[in-house]
Amino acid sequence: MSNKAIVSFKNVCMYFGGVKAIDDISFDVEKGQVFGIIGPNGAGKTTIFNVLSGIYKPTSGDIFFHDRRINNLPPNYITGNGITRTFQNIRLFEGQTVLDNLKIAHYSHIRYGIMDVIFTSNRFKKEEKRIEEESLAILDFMNLTSSAEQKAGALPYGAQRRIEIARALSCKPEVLLLDEPAAGMNPVEIDELNQLILKIRDHFNLTVLVVEHQMRLVMEICNEILVTNFGKKLTIGKPDEIKNNPQVLEAYLGKVK
Amino acid sequence: MISKKKNNLLGDVIPVIIIAVILISLKEFKLVSTSRLLILQYIGLYSIFVLGINMVNGYLGIFSLAHAGFMASGAYAAAISSRYFFKESWMFPLILLFGGFVAMVIGLIMSIPSFKAKGDYLAIITLGFSLIVQSFLQNWRFVGASKGINNVAKFTNIYWVFGCLLFAIFIVRKFINSKYGRSLKAIREDQVASELVSVDVKRAKTMAFAVSAFLIGIAGALLVHLLGYTSPSAYGYTNIVDGLVMVYLGGMGSITGSIVGATLWQILIQTLKSLGTWRWVVGGGLLCMIMIFLNNGLFGNKELSDAIRAIRYYFSRIILKKNSPEETRK
Repeated sequence: MSNKAIVSFKNVCMYFGGVKAIDDISFDVEKGQVFGIIGPNGAGKTTIFNVLSGIYKPTSGDIFFHDRRINNLPPNYITGNGITRTFQNIRLFEGQTVLDNLKIAHYSHIRYGIMDVIFTSNRFKKEEKRIEEESLAILDFMNLTSSAEQKAGALPYGAQRRIEIARALSCKPEVLLLDEPAAGMNPVEIDELNQLILKIRDHFNLTVLVVEHQMRLVMEICNEILVTNFGKKLTIGKPDEIKNNPQVLEAYLGKVK
Repeated sequence: MISKKKNNLLGDVIPVIIIAVILISLKEFKLVSTSRLLILQYIGLYSIFVLGINMVNGYLGIFSLAHAGFMASGAYAAAISSRYFFKESWMFPLILLFGGFVAMVIGLIMSIPSFKAKGDYLAIITLGFSLIVQSFLQNWRFVGASKGINNVAKFTNIYWVFGCLLFAIFIVRKFINSKYGRSLKAIREDQVASELVSVDVKRAKTMAFAVSAFLIGIAGALLVHLLGYTSPSAYGYTNIVDGLVMVYLGGMGSITGSIVGATLWQILIQTLKSLGTWRWVVGGGLLCMIMIFLNNGLFGNKELSDAIRAIRYYFSRIILKKNSPEETRK
């Protein structure tokens, strides 16, 4: 493990009964990278995210974040301390306004207690003001200011995708996990998304992990790519190396007889 | 809200003063009969009860039936404390707080199953809890077993009831407009997603149950000291159903709805009293109608301020149309 690694998997396995969703996967992600994870359907890509964000406890192996083992921490703790994710199928709080969606995500770094709430202390007012300003700043950054007061569920698909990223950013992460952010987008939209991801990474000083099918996204912006198949690590490398790797081609297109 | 909330102290204080003046004139100048005054007290204390239920069933979105158990524990704790410890009438606040706190402790315990169980299964657990409390009281000699506690001092009057209601509204409003309230609404919509945006789900649920049980316990304490007696039979299925009816009638997740639901239902069952048993048919029928045509309840997830805004908007459009025919022609 290099010193710069911010997230690293050490021989992580995740079994569901007999199904080996992840089987002995190890990799390191360096700070500031855009790290892609690709593979055919059922290759365990999303499971990697679920294990990393604490929804599942890995069957064996260790996950490190900043050299700290995070295997058995609850998801809200992991999220509040720097690893935040978005979902493959959008999971916004649809009945709430966009602004409230962001405010909810500020939960872990709001510093007031129940007594501050009851007596409306200065700290309460200050914190509420702070998170409102921060939320509006993030909305502004994501070009969503005009829809701040609208119900999240009423907005179009593309906007909901961006709100989900905005909500994840509200947790103040160091590592952002994007689960198929380009699903259902056309090439033009994907190019915009590419720019957006790079912009977010630079502006918020993030490390980004992307699970994606769209090669247009992965090959353009990723510094390094992990290829999985049937829960196993096929290879890891730079986009150019991946493109010409016979194993990868085989996994995607089948074997040449 | 982006539109900056002004310091709406005036908007809060004026209605309170008006209500206080009305209450004082009603009671001191005997403008209404004692029985009407009693109904008014029922309305007040059941509003607190419904606010408490709404914390869990409305804002948190868990279908819980534990309110009968909370009310029983609050009522009995208060009755015991006023009989053995707080015998003077000036100690009534202590009695109320004691009832509330005992219910709150039980509420904290009841929040534990909600970490794991969901939906119907949790409803059954909470139903079981309510029935356990009832049979426990039926068999506990110290509190008079099935005969209950009689000759409880009648400390409750209309000022206490509405004072407590004011306190309950205050607490719920503060709670809902904080990060805790926001996290309750988030959990209601998607528990996994809220965990993954760093919301502490267990803590939020514990707090919701605690506040809920606290308020319901206070309502129970008020009821006991209003009637002067209590018995286990008052905290069975009827109580559970009554609570649910008032919550759904008024609307989930709304303070206004809680009060409106409690008010309407209490007035309804009292005015229909002359019909004897048939009142349940009429009342139930009305309820069916409301559920069919207004299936979110009267104020589901809305507050009075939202309603006023909507009405104002509606009328402003009518006036605009009348005054400027040119504009509509465009």
